[in-house]
Amino acid sequence: MTVWIPQDDGKADLTSHDTFAAGAPHNTFARLRRDDPMHWTPWDAGEGFWSVTRHADILALNGQPDLLSSARGIRMEDQSYEEYLARRTFQETDAPDHMQTRIKVAKAFSKPVIAGFEQVIRDLCGPILDAALEKGSFDATKEIARQLPMRMLGRIMGTPDPDLPWLVEKGDALIANTDPDFTDHVLDKMTTDEYRMMPFNSPAGAELFTYAKDLMARKNVIGDTSGVLHLILQPGPDGSVLPEHEFRNFFCLLVAAGNDTTRYSIAAGIQALAHRPELLAQMQAGEVWETAPDEIIRWATPAIYFRRTATRDFEMHGKTIRQGQKVLYWFASGNRDEDAFEDPFNVNLARSPNRHLSFGQGGPHVCLGMWLARLEVRVLFQELAKRIRSIEPAGEQRFVRSNFVGGLKELPVRVTLQ
Amino acid sequence: MQATWILPDGKAVTADVKPGQNLMEAAVAHNIPLVVGECGGSLSCATCHVVVDPAWSGRAGEVGTFEDAMLDVAEAERQATSRLSCQIRMSADIDGIVLHVPQP
Repeated sequence: MTVWIPQDDGKADLTSHDTFAAGAPHNTFARLRRDDPMHWTPWDAGEGFWSVTRHADILALNGQPDLLSSARGIRMEDQSYEEYLARRTFQETDAPDHMQTRIKVAKAFSKPVIAGFEQVIRDLCGPILDAALEKGSFDATKEIARQLPMRMLGRIMGTPDPDLPWLVEKGDALIANTDPDFTDHVLDKMTTDEYRMMPFNSPAGAELFTYAKDLMARKNVIGDTSGVLHLILQPGPDGSVLPEHEFRNFFCLLVAAGNDTTRYSIAAGIQALAHRPELLAQMQAGEVWETAPDEIIRWATPAIYFRRTATRDFEMHGKTIRQGQKVLYWFASGNRDEDAFEDPFNVNLARSPNRHLSFGQGGPHVCLGMWLARLEVRVLFQELAKRIRSIEPAGEQRFVRSNFVGGLKELPVRVTLQ
Repeated sequence: MQATWILPDGKAVTADVKPGQNLMEAAVAHNIPLVVGECGGSLSCATCHVVVDPAWSGRAGEVGTFEDAMLDVAEAERQATSRLSCQIRMSADIDGIVLHVPQP
């Protein structure tokens, strides 16, 4: 049985968040990969942009950060330089600035350090799953997928547990700032530029700014140096210290990126299980845990695209990309490229090798949290598979209204227990 | 030009490497197990960690500042001649280099 069939007519508007509210427009991506792999989209709400949709092209360009810079913004929307400086994190910088910041926290997110969290994650999963599963019918995104990353993020950052629901609500408002279910200030419908200097152009960014400052003040008073927030404030090898506004942007990035992406990966995995009972059987047989997390994360592709900006003119597929033009890497498309994946619309939990692009592989900005994401996905599905006998869809699924970071925001399912 | 990878089980794999190609790319191209290169050679992931055979370590260049920091992040424990193989480029000086792939 098929897990999900794309709904678009092959000519979807990639600038429209509404397009993605029906799920990623994979018929459109397939057409672009085939007919126009370096595709120009004019845009009435900003400068037009180039779309790169083939797996091999995304990898090739992502490996050339000198040619395609992150330091002009990473979303489709245009920013003034002033806005860029106010809102940037190390995600929006190039070498060497990017590494100066990244190495401060690289150890905390490294594979061996993250592996030490396995039991913590397992202990978090138990109560989350038990509370959800006993309902029989429930929204799997809300009751399961949303819960684990939030709690784990609190452990990584060293924030008090009672603050977590508030933090997640604000994180949602930041990243899903184009979905009215998550924010009252829908980005493409805003009539004010009051928040344009705030992270993600969002009032939630302003609130998180204040929270981060207060949190660090409270931690300083009691000499608490746990968590990655302390690490990011230490001087780098060149002695440089992160300016305060960049620290708070980093905090917002963690709250946003650390929540949504893993959530939508977990949700997509549950969606797959609900439509294809044999996947649960494979998990229960215990033979796919090395490969299943990456396949679930490929299937989900929560980070739909990232943008770069050309630093000089170059040619590709017969097109001339001019210096200063925006170039979008559509990871969602690359992860369904028939030339890179056999039967790409099939969820194959044993897929190996699995050179998916969900973490922005092949470039300097490869996801800092990828080991944590893989571990959370594996442990959650191990614990889920232990507990249920069956899972099936129980209503209409709904996707986030966003072309940037998205996935299933509602996933009604019905389960029977072991 | 050639490089040899000694896998954790002792098996040796020798493969051709083009001059100027970095040894992470070469390993990925030849499907050397445990050398992944998730960041494409930009010092962001430490998944191409190798231990240069002591007989070759003097010729494989110096460990850079960011490489040094990232070696501390690698899955397998760092050793005296550990390198990120994306930072070693094939040249006449190191033709025949021997790299040990550490056990994670």
